[in-house]
Amino acid sequence: MKKILQITLGIVTSVGGFLEIGSVTTAAQAGAAFGYQLLWAILLGTLCLIFLVEMSGRLSAVSKHTIVEAMRERFGFPFFFIVLVGMVLVAFLVLIAELGGIGFSLQLLTGIGFPWWAVPVSLLVWLLMWKGTFGLIENGASLLGLVTISFVVAAIRLHPDWSGVAAGLLPAMPQSDKAHYGFIAVSIMGASISPYLMYFYSSGAIEDKWDETYVGVNRFIAGFGMTFGGFLSMAVLVAAALALQPRGIQVDDFHQSALLMTTALPRWGFYLFAISMLFACFGAALEVSLAIAYFFAQGFGWNWGEDLEPSKDARFSFVYTIIILLAAVPLLFGIDPVKVTIMSMALTAATLPLAIIPFLFLLNDPIYMGKHRNGWLSNSVVAIIIVVSFVLAVISIPLQIIGG
Amino acid sequence: MDLVRDVMDKKLVDRKDCEMGRVDGLVMHVGPSSQPRVTHILVGGTTPWMRLGPVFSRISARLARLWGPKRTEPVRIPWSRVKTVGKDIKLDVMAREAGALDWEIWISRHIIERIPGGGTEEEE
Repeated sequence: MKKILQITLGIVTSVGGFLEIGSVTTAAQAGAAFGYQLLWAILLGTLCLIFLVEMSGRLSAVSKHTIVEAMRERFGFPFFFIVLVGMVLVAFLVLIAELGGIGFSLQLLTGIGFPWWAVPVSLLVWLLMWKGTFGLIENGASLLGLVTISFVVAAIRLHPDWSGVAAGLLPAMPQSDKAHYGFIAVSIMGASISPYLMYFYSSGAIEDKWDETYVGVNRFIAGFGMTFGGFLSMAVLVAAALALQPRGIQVDDFHQSALLMTTALPRWGFYLFAISMLFACFGAALEVSLAIAYFFAQGFGWNWGEDLEPSKDARFSFVYTIIILLAAVPLLFGIDPVKVTIMSMALTAATLPLAIIPFLFLLNDPIYMGKHRNGWLSNSVVAIIIVVSFVLAVISIPLQIIGG
Repeated sequence: MDLVRDVMDKKLVDRKDCEMGRVDGLVMHVGPSSQPRVTHILVGGTTPWMRLGPVFSRISARLARLWGPKRTEPVRIPWSRVKTVGKDIKLDVMAREAGALDWEIWISRHIIERIPGGGTEEEE
């Protein structure tokens, strides 16, 4: 039972990694522009993510080494450094977007412009990491994140045509606007398969002191957690298809996304949307900042742990302090978080192969994995994900230029 | 033992299981008549950056002179202090005395301890 309660790690990873400003924006764009047609992209992203997250957790539980640690050990410092640069750059943009998302939600609730929120919001995120424990962040963020279930309520209240929804789960090409369709599909994949999410989850497994007995639980947590996130993303898409597409609204900014909730729930929708986004982006901001600090500490062999007093892991605490401070700066100058989001998702897609290829080697390494090595199914899935990630990497930037 | 597979980049832990960096480099002694022999493990300093290229190593040396505990040389740990080589490498040294925590202590004293709630790095 105690092990099952660790489901919170799955939920926080999923809400923070899945249902944040990136996924909501892309899913809303997809629904508004193409109806249910792009549901398959979320389904595919979710399936890939379930496997990758399960492997991240299994590696940690069996070897007591996170993905980053094992990557540095197996591939050496130069490879680690290249991934570090790519990952930190992308994660930093995501952090700016999430802090901006929190600011936007507060702007919806209070009417005070989002640049004013940059400093207080960053300070609050930092304070939680500075004083809080991993358990507090994990349980608090996943509990608050449950508010996002309101997206499902909104979708159901709009009475979707279920046969249309089912048809959308199968990939199909649209008659027109193919470049834009492709761009959104790539963005959805980029928003779903975020590497920082795997680094966070595998570090979380170490923070929660998992061992080999967690292999089965991990499978359940990864499966359930990511399905939960994917399901919510699909709900956003469905609600957008019903609320926005008939009125011809294209989602270019955050305010328009609120309409997908207010149409279904006229009285409470607006507040539910703002609060859902607030909590989801908050969870994501914590997750990304921690993932960046974990990445540095594990790669360089520093002592780390969210439960330690900051002075006991000074370099680790220093990294997240600096990163959060820096991320507040562009927001102070009023940079548009939605633009940053879209850019960061295309970049995530472009750097994906670097993050995924190590999985194929690490999860088959007998020294790390013993008898819990990947089977043929997991290996085939990783191979397919690598191929998909290469395709995404090659087409993401050109598609952004012509379709974005 | 395969030096690249089993030793390079592995995590080092001291007598009290404190993490003290990773194996960034190795020093070998090549005598005129004897077999080559690993004598020291190198941690930190410019050693890892050297592996990326001389430019990175120069930049890191310059930055280290400007800022921080003014330590440019890597920590050298004699191979004789290696206890076991497994998933991690256990050493018969204390991280603090070996100098592997110089940066950690410097950042803690100069930055972290000065922020309220940071605590102190002093060991009990």
